[in-house]
Amino acid sequence: MNTWWLSNQILIQSTFISLLLALSIQVPLRAGVFSFAGVGSYAIGAYTAAILTIRYQVPGIVAIGAGVLLAAVVGYLLALLVARLAGLYLGMATISFALLLGVLATNGGDLTGGATGLYGAISTVTTEHVIAVAVVVMVLLAASERGAFGRKVDAVREDPQLAVSLGVNVIGVRRMVFVVSGALGACAGGMNSLLRTTVSPETVGFHLVVTALTMIIIGGALSWAGAAIGAVIFTWLPSLLHTVGEWQLLVYGLLVAFAAVYVPNGLLGLLQTGWRRLQRRGRRIPAEGAAAGTSVTAAQDPEQELAALGGPTGEARP
Amino acid sequence: MTTTQDRGASAAPAAGTTVLETVDVAVHYGGIKAVDGIDMKLETGRILGILGPNGSGKSTLLGAITRLVPLTRGRVLLDGEDYGRTPPSKLAHRGIARTFQTVRLLPDLPVLGNIQLGADLRLNRATRWRELVRRSVPESVTEAIERTGVGDVLDLLPGELSYGTARRVEIARALASRPRVLMLDEPTAGMNQPERLEVADLLRKLRDEGLTQLLVEHDVQMMVDTCDRLLAMNQGKHVAEGAPADVVRDPAVQEAYLGKRWNRAADQ
Ligand SMILES: Nc1ncnc2c1ncn2[C@@H]1O[C@H](COP(=O)(O)OP(=O)(O)O)[C@@H](O)[C@H]1O
Ligand SMILES: [Mg+2]
Repeated sequence: MNTWWLSNQILIQSTFISLLLALSIQVPLRAGVFSFAGVGSYAIGAYTAAILTIRYQVPGIVAIGAGVLLAAVVGYLLALLVARLAGLYLGMATISFALLLGVLATNGGDLTGGATGLYGAISTVTTEHVIAVAVVVMVLLAASERGAFGRKVDAVREDPQLAVSLGVNVIGVRRMVFVVSGALGACAGGMNSLLRTTVSPETVGFHLVVTALTMIIIGGALSWAGAAIGAVIFTWLPSLLHTVGEWQLLVYGLLVAFAAVYVPNGLLGLLQTGWRRLQRRGRRIPAEGAAAGTSVTAAQDPEQELAALGGPTGEARP
Repeated sequence: MTTTQDRGASAAPAAGTTVLETVDVAVHYGGIKAVDGIDMKLETGRILGILGPNGSGKSTLLGAITRLVPLTRGRVLLDGEDYGRTPPSKLAHRGIARTFQTVRLLPDLPVLGNIQLGADLRLNRATRWRELVRRSVPESVTEAIERTGVGDVLDLLPGELSYGTARRVEIARALASRPRVLMLDEPTAGMNQPERLEVADLLRKLRDEGLTQLLVEHDVQMMVDTCDRLLAMNQGKHVAEGAPADVVRDPAVQEAYLGKRWNRAADQ
């Protein structure tokens, strides 16, 4: 265990960092907001943390925190700016926000180190810190998917007008997801810079959009758990796939295409459907225990089921 | 399931005072005058029915009143106060609940969750957190479930419900917020006769308990039996208003709508 832990530090770190990045896209999606602003926030967090530790010798945690705060504010302003956009247009606008930050990084002169980026962002941030942050985030997001708050976000995604009529401040929820997305993305970026001690325009490039989207599509977009499944698969699959060598990318592409077409709710969706079926089966047996005979014939002949129930009065149950 | 206390918005002011009012309300979509100058008064503890053929602007008027559809002209007043600039989501907090003409339930949420959505706006912070720890449901939700008779389907998903049941779930969701004013857009469309009578019965009972209602419905008989007042519309315009039996017999209404059948409905 210990040797495994030590020899896989990098992969373990990037699993959780990728997870946070994926969550920065998943959180808005859950509210029906198609935004890649989390990727731009990743860049904000990555550069803020690097600049603060290198130039001002700020402790790592503080440097990351500053990036998170900055990205949250930027996220809020961005939400105001793109308030009228939705769907594909919002996706495009937020991708250009991410690209714009890449351009700023490349042309930032001494501050951002230009095309070569910044080196020597030494800090005391460790793998354990990353895991702790990710776990806290996951617990909070899991809570946010349940109860009244979870329902509220579901309503905003599925039917914003209905949500409004039920008293939900839809605009407020949309703004909030931009803020949370910004914070999560920046947290991932900041930790990545400090763990790698370096940041460059390449590390915050367009590939992050693809990475995050892939993880969510494979894992499932509607829950933090989907992003977690996606992050684990996406991070560890390459080391398992190294035997296929240069075909890796092709295998990826096929995997994503397959998931998008055949498993629209991701692996998590598959698991949930299966779980629901199992639960039903478990519930149905005691419920129909008294009429075990009918339930057997009912499965064979719907007419008889109606007769056994005393006419077509029952609810249409699947 | 445990029950938690919650505060409802229902108060019981004197019956017959105007709670909601529209003044010369119009909604135009380009050249289409969906609603065109409607004056309407909704009195506490009464059911006002809006009658009119398809496309006469009933749903649009409901949309205008609930601020989901922008007004082209006119004013909307709640307790005598213009709320034309109030954000629409605030109206639910002020005790207005509505259903829509089509079924609008969240497909991935079981029936219970869908009904709870109606009550969520009245939860305080403590009850919100408590629900995360154990499955507790506000009293208003239990009550709404009981009244609409959907207790057997709480664990089902909306897609598994019959149409009539789905509509009852929507009424339950609206009731769960303990509204002062309930607005229903064709609540019995697609229901069979016994189900319709049941809903009509429920609405009358709610009225007798003091719940003010605005009812859009095609079933003329049900409107006559249920409403205290009727407002007839055609092509966005006011056609007639008054006691149900009179409105149904009004020649202008008969011409606009169905004809002789209305006389029968009024006589029964
Ligand atoms: N969003 C819209 N855009 C354009 N026209 C609309 C819109 N909504 C309703 N209308 C039109 O307004 C008129 C009134 O519609 P509606 O209020 O749904 O009538 P009703 O509920 O009485 O059947 C119809 O002619 C309809 O086509
Ligand atoms: Mg209508």
